[in-house]
Amino acid sequence: MKPDINAWAKKFESLTNSDEAIGAMARYYTCTFMFNMEHAKIIVEMHDGKVKRIDTAPGPIDAYDFVLRASAATWREFAKPIPKPMFHGIWAAMFRQDLTIEGNHLILMQNLRNFTIQFELLRKCGVPV
Amino acid sequence: MAKHSPVTGRYVTIDVDGCEYKVFYLQNGKGIPLVCQHTAGCHNHQWRGLLEDAEITQNFNVIAYDLPRHGKSDPPHNKEWWKEEYKLTADHYVNFILKLCDALELKNPIFMGSSFGGNVALQLALRHPNRFRAVIPVEAAGYAPGFYLDWWRHPHSNAAQVCASGVWDLMAPQSPDMDRWLTWFYYSQGSEAFKGDLYFYSVDHDLREELKNIDGRRCPVVMMTGTYDYLTPPEESENTARQIRGGVYIEMEDIGHFPMSENYPLFRVYLKEALRIIQERTGR
Repeated sequence: MKPDINAWAKKFESLTNSDEAIGAMARYYTCTFMFNMEHAKIIVEMHDGKVKRIDTAPGPIDAYDFVLRASAATWREFAKPIPKPMFHGIWAAMFRQDLTIEGNHLILMQNLRNFTIQFELLRKCGVPV
Repeated sequence: MAKHSPVTGRYVTIDVDGCEYKVFYLQNGKGIPLVCQHTAGCHNHQWRGLLEDAEITQNFNVIAYDLPRHGKSDPPHNKEWWKEEYKLTADHYVNFILKLCDALELKNPIFMGSSFGGNVALQLALRHPNRFRAVIPVEAAGYAPGFYLDWWRHPHSNAAQVCASGVWDLMAPQSPDMDRWLTWFYYSQGSEAFKGDLYFYSVDHDLREELKNIDGRRCPVVMMTGTYDYLTPPEESENTARQIRGGVYIEMEDIGHFPMSENYPLFRVYLKEALRIIQERTGR
């Protein structure tokens, strides 16, 4: 059965907006990023620590600051409650697996604390691929 | 009644290559000196679990210092250090450890360090095997390129958070939240030194052609690496240990690059095994 990408988006938004660690330093967590999961592309727009919009069907020239790109298999590993070694974070997967991060790296670094926390929420909501 | 820790802290002033350092160290225990080096861009609180481990401190004099420019150890007081970029070299790092051990009158200590502390442990085993009873390089390798990055002190981002969150997934997801966040907190305090430390870790430290000259029979080398370490993955440490005469490698399951800080109860299981092997090989 094909995963329901819109249901996933709602869950990811809810988890993000209710996360206490993000909420503790939410102000200025403002950026737009894409998850490229091979079979799905998703753009997440953040504003002051809250999800402003999740676009599950972005067009070819829709804008974002940076994109995380990896195979669907890698994303499925990211989303396990306890990922295997080398799939347990963006740095690990960049160094040792097929994850690439493209775009404006400075914006990622400026938001790294909260983005790292938010990325790990995938362990709770899974991925739509 | 105040709940005092048995750990005490002191300062000692030493001269290393013309640099006057006032070095802060924590100490607890009696017996064989066990000198502990924190990871790059961090400080000696990473060893908090070991310092208060009643079983180990019964037989080991645990000393965890802050390398200059870290924690409570200042940059040199006799240099205008702010006028030049900090880049830690292997020579200076080794000289510092020898001078500190001399100042504290430590006879034949065991040296243990993690990450860039593990790499310098290999340097000590190569250069000064007669000065150390043994070394325990944790999360170490003969060569560890790739982490000397400008991002650690980029003026357009919050360097404290970049360093702290940049090393977040060097830890295992199974490690307790409190200990991972304490380690994150320590890293938020060390960003000004992190990149300069990594000059040693990823650039100046290169023992690929020298590992064969380390004699683990004169100075036992017991390497330990966690399965979640992406920077020095287990195969790199194992490959390093294999090239050292008498080198020992212990793989630590379900732990990452900061084992003593991210999950001490698990780390101590492996540490006790390392100390047992050293005792067996040194007969003491």
